[in-house]
Amino acid sequence: MASPERGMAMSLKNRSVKYSFILPAMFWVLAFTIFPLFYSFGLSFFRVRLGKPATFVGLNNFARLLQDYKLGNSLRVTLLYVAVTVSIQVILGILIALLFHQEMKGKSIFRALLILPIFCTPVAVGYLGLTVFYEEGGPINSILMRLFDLKIPWLSHPFWAWIGVLLLDIWQWTPFCFLVVLAGLQSLPEEIYDAAYIDSSSEWEIFRKITFPMIQPVVIIVLLLRLIESFKIFDVVYSLTGGGPGTATEVYSLYTYRTGLKFFDFGYASALGYLLLAMVMVIVNLFFRRVRQVYE
Amino acid sequence: MRRLLWIGLSVFVVLCLSVVYADMTLTNASGESITFTDEELGTIITSGEKPFEGVTITITVNQGGPKGGISGPLYEWRDVWEKLTGAKLNIVEIPYAEHYPKVMTDLLTGTGQYDGFMIGSDWMGELVAGEYIVPINDYMKDPRFPKWDPDSLPPSIRNLYTWGDTWYGPLNDSDGQVLYYRKDILMNPDYQAKFKEKYGYEYSVPPKTWNELYDISEFFNGWDWNNDGEPDSGIVMHLKVGAQGMYHYASLSAPFCILPGEKVDKYHNVYWFDPEDMTPLINSEGHVKALEFQLKLAKTGPDAQVAWSLGEAWDYFLRGKAVFTFSWGDVGSLVQDEARSKIKGKMGASILPGSLEVYDRSQGKFVTFETPNVWGNTTGGSWHGVISALSKNPEAVYHLLAFHATNKISLWNVQRGWTGVDPGAKFHFLPPYGTASLDDYVANGFNPDDAQEYLKAYYDNFFAPNIAPYLRIPGGNEYWVALDRHLSEAYTGQASAKEALDRVARDWEDITNRYGRAEQLKVYQESIGYTK
Repeated sequence: MASPERGMAMSLKNRSVKYSFILPAMFWVLAFTIFPLFYSFGLSFFRVRLGKPATFVGLNNFARLLQDYKLGNSLRVTLLYVAVTVSIQVILGILIALLFHQEMKGKSIFRALLILPIFCTPVAVGYLGLTVFYEEGGPINSILMRLFDLKIPWLSHPFWAWIGVLLLDIWQWTPFCFLVVLAGLQSLPEEIYDAAYIDSSSEWEIFRKITFPMIQPVVIIVLLLRLIESFKIFDVVYSLTGGGPGTATEVYSLYTYRTGLKFFDFGYASALGYLLLAMVMVIVNLFFRRVRQVYE
Repeated sequence: MRRLLWIGLSVFVVLCLSVVYADMTLTNASGESITFTDEELGTIITSGEKPFEGVTITITVNQGGPKGGISGPLYEWRDVWEKLTGAKLNIVEIPYAEHYPKVMTDLLTGTGQYDGFMIGSDWMGELVAGEYIVPINDYMKDPRFPKWDPDSLPPSIRNLYTWGDTWYGPLNDSDGQVLYYRKDILMNPDYQAKFKEKYGYEYSVPPKTWNELYDISEFFNGWDWNNDGEPDSGIVMHLKVGAQGMYHYASLSAPFCILPGEKVDKYHNVYWFDPEDMTPLINSEGHVKALEFQLKLAKTGPDAQVAWSLGEAWDYFLRGKAVFTFSWGDVGSLVQDEARSKIKGKMGASILPGSLEVYDRSQGKFVTFETPNVWGNTTGGSWHGVISALSKNPEAVYHLLAFHATNKISLWNVQRGWTGVDPGAKFHFLPPYGTASLDDYVANGFNPDDAQEYLKAYYDNFFAPNIAPYLRIPGGNEYWVALDRHLSEAYTGQASAKEALDRVARDWEDITNRYGRAEQLKVYQESIGYTK
């Protein structure tokens, strides 16, 4: 039988082992999430320019948010972008997952091919887009010219440049939605379907009343992840259009990046960052509320 | 015996002297050799002492690779310079759009990661005002360093390398935009006759005013004048946002909105801001008219040009698809590269056209001139090296930059289009304007007619009586970016000329207020030579 001292020593040792595992993660979170969060919050109350003393300006940077017409444009572009891309990605992801949930030849090969875009670096995807959407003799316009005598101003027209960004993002991230929804579908029990087919022969009815409600939590998670990621869109826009033509594709992150890291207006860039954080938090909360409702 | 001794001694002395005063032939990475005199190379090299042994210097430059514009020459001469001085050169290539923020971050945070920078001249206001770079006047007098010729620079280019009387960088690139045109097409009698029939007058070659250029460009736009089976364009420009598109506007607009005068005052020789209170002039009537004109002119070019960077627009011209372009010196030398160009020997070049109508702010109306109001320009970066104030090895950096500025290397660079180094110094130009030899240009692949047109155009531009003012104040990059993004809105139909320029003015006011109006005004006045 171990003595109480020995037990206490073991307990202390176990605790220190536990802490040694937790400490790196704690350090990581403190150094790279909590500290920047508080530091940038502090910065947002100052006029900060590197190399010069910071000046306390109170809520001025937040007041600037209300007067900044460029912010309005970047918010509009971003919200529209998020709404369109996320909807299309999730709907396409569900449809493709349903397709792959059935028996078909060469399924594993197609599945592997389909998820390849996820592994591409977004900046590289943007540069790839420059080649693909090149207006004078690029591959897409060459095909369109041959088939329909049609040339689309992919990068020189505000609307088409926006479409170009959307297409690239949808191409890259639909496979992610597909993969997660497919995993959800494959985890559904077969017995329910056996019973359902006795009551109904309509595939649509079965999808509407059984499949979708059962995969809804997975879909909500996918939606949530894509929403958060889409709000942060930067790389593709940066490399494909640079925010142009004009300001047609200047998304929120690009505007914040320029403000902070190109023009060194750190105080205002921090305020911009906090506005985005607030918007994303509101949306995430709404979704979590919905998830809770689904589970309850 | 004594006689033999004398002969031996004489031979020894001659040998010694020949060693001391021997010319030195250096070979670059392309395998081409240049012979320098001792004076040109400086005593650090000729003494063979290698005082920079063990020193590594890091220089930033626009990304371009070993055969890219501005970065290329650094690679080309790196090995030989390292061998001669004992130093190591670390070249850090940074994409154009990232270069300025990276450099400023290094300087503002005091990191000192880089010893020198190949900067655009529009960064100078910020760098000099913050004392982030080192003056080089003392080094320039020091015989230890390679010798280059500051007096060979026209005042227009010299202004970009100096602040007041203080030099900050040795000669490298000389940027300015000139008009390039298809001489063979414009001189075609059939085309001339058809033009006269349609417009009722004979055009000049080169066109003297922007309006005349517009008529010609409109005439040639949309039909197959080069017989390649496809419709061609009147003009091509690079108008993509974030890719130096705004420089086209800056060059084109000058004659519409700068009223020439004896000196710089509130109304004369100013372009950017009112020199008395920093009010932006960018949305004044002259500017609006200039942008409206540019939008009209752009319609005589390919639609896709609003999304084109330099390379795409230049290639369009080099492939013989447009009659006109106006751009930097790179175009003239790239025309000579037959792997890329179909128009070698067919090129004409001139200073940019002028305008007969100029906005006079003092009268609040456009005034008409009898002869075109023509302005030379130094639009662009005139990319050159400067020494970081944080560098621990400023002498090694200066040595490298001065080595590249020697007449022979500078001329070698200018004669090769891929280097991105454009002509500006007198020794780049042909007689009677300069000392370079046409045979030398021809030996380096230039068509003789093209070379003469090209160099004369640049001489006329840089030595023009009127040179458009250059923006060199803190936040210069930010002002340019604001101009760029709103011009792009106008080019792509998202805003009218007036709306776009009003937005630029609004952004500029914000930037000025953030940097401090009084401080900005002081630097601006200094930079344009304004005195009350």
